[in-house]
Amino acid sequence: MKFGLFLGCNTPAIRPDVERAIRLTMPKLGVDLVDLEGYVCCPAFGTFPSTDEDSHLAVSGWNLSLAEQKGLDLLVECGSCYSSLRMGREHIMHDEKKKARVNELLEPVGRSVEGRSQVRHITDVLYNDVGINKISKSICKSLEGLHAVVQYPCHTLFPSEVVGFDSPPARPHILRDLVEALGAEVDNFSREYQCCGGAGGFAHASAAEARGFAKTKLDAIKEETRADFIVVSCITCLMFIDNIQKDLNKENDIYNIPVFDYNQILALCMGFDPKQVAPICTVPRDKITDRF
Amino acid sequence: MIDLAETKKNMWREVFDSKDLLYCFNCSTCISGCPASNANPPLLIRNLARIVILGLEDELLEEDTPWMCVTCSRCEEMCPMDVKPFELCLAIRQWQSQNDETRIPPSIVEIYSRGYTQAVEKNTEQRKSLGLPEKLPVLTEYPELLEKFQNMLMKTKVVNENDYMFEGE
Repeated sequence: MKFGLFLGCNTPAIRPDVERAIRLTMPKLGVDLVDLEGYVCCPAFGTFPSTDEDSHLAVSGWNLSLAEQKGLDLLVECGSCYSSLRMGREHIMHDEKKKARVNELLEPVGRSVEGRSQVRHITDVLYNDVGINKISKSICKSLEGLHAVVQYPCHTLFPSEVVGFDSPPARPHILRDLVEALGAEVDNFSREYQCCGGAGGFAHASAAEARGFAKTKLDAIKEETRADFIVVSCITCLMFIDNIQKDLNKENDIYNIPVFDYNQILALCMGFDPKQVAPICTVPRDKITDRF
Repeated sequence: MIDLAETKKNMWREVFDSKDLLYCFNCSTCISGCPASNANPPLLIRNLARIVILGLEDELLEEDTPWMCVTCSRCEEMCPMDVKPFELCLAIRQWQSQNDETRIPPSIVEIYSRGYTQAVEKNTEQRKSLGLPEKLPVLTEYPELLEKFQNMLMKTKVVNENDYMFEGE
């Protein structure tokens, strides 16, 4: 199995330990990753998709055509990148005029978009292509005895007909099953399916309210579960839920639940060095990583 | 008081040319469950739909709330009338960007100049310390390709119409 690795910008620029974890774990599960020379911003929803469809689809087409040139599907971890690429592809593939326009813009680059390459989220590939059994068998240390909660990336859920792979979309289970495959017990809580609130303008332009929104989720985790850590599979969820706890602690110093991207916790279970796959964090991860 | 006789009746075609928009009956499903409905001021997609349908041009130009959207698309999934509230939200941002250049996000200049909003190409030391290849095959590693990328963008609508923003990049 081979995929084009679409890293986006936050992962390689701010949290490259997640990139390290992805590059170490996926090949061990039989998923080879190929870099895409000259890939660009997905484009993020707050950029070209907020100015005009012409540039939005041109930039989507730029990335999709790189994958098509290599004959590969794209593998994406970042929720926003995943959703933007899926929506861009949807528009291009379902409207001949738009497709023709994108290919006209790509013509001087010598590439085109025909729709041969799919865009896949990393948890979709882990669950549906690799499979739970293979993941369980790949680890040398389990999370037995630990409790976790999961944060589903909203961009992989809605709108389900464009981005979805979990079912039912409003009651996803894939990330939970993936964490359970590593031996942890995954606790339910009332705000399990609530978005983290970290993307777009909300967290920047309305920071106090975004903090309050995140607080409702963290309080529910603290009150209703025995969670030792939180597992996400989106770089925005990871950075936001991790960093916001420090902000909340300025008012009330009680938030200290470590947050991991799924491939980071998988990498630890596979025996990879915590200093390479999980050193960058705001809330200290020692109480979990010390186990390894 | 708004005089509806004075409004721009066909504005919705300019903003979001989808007949589905007209089926919106203000049920507020798009608001419940919307993270940005907690923002200050709150993003109330239902109200934005009404502003577009009624053709309230000045009000729409002044609305900051579409930019609060977290892009989770829950509203798109839940809308019982298939109005596509998330696409409407992006369409309003686009309409504002095309009618008021101060709305154009500066991040598109960053993408034009280096391919990304983040300085992906500069993080070499940290990458090395994690055992990663120091350099990713980012766009700036291929000057010829970067030039083609910029040429492509220059042919698109908003970049082309505001080319002064990209001079010297």
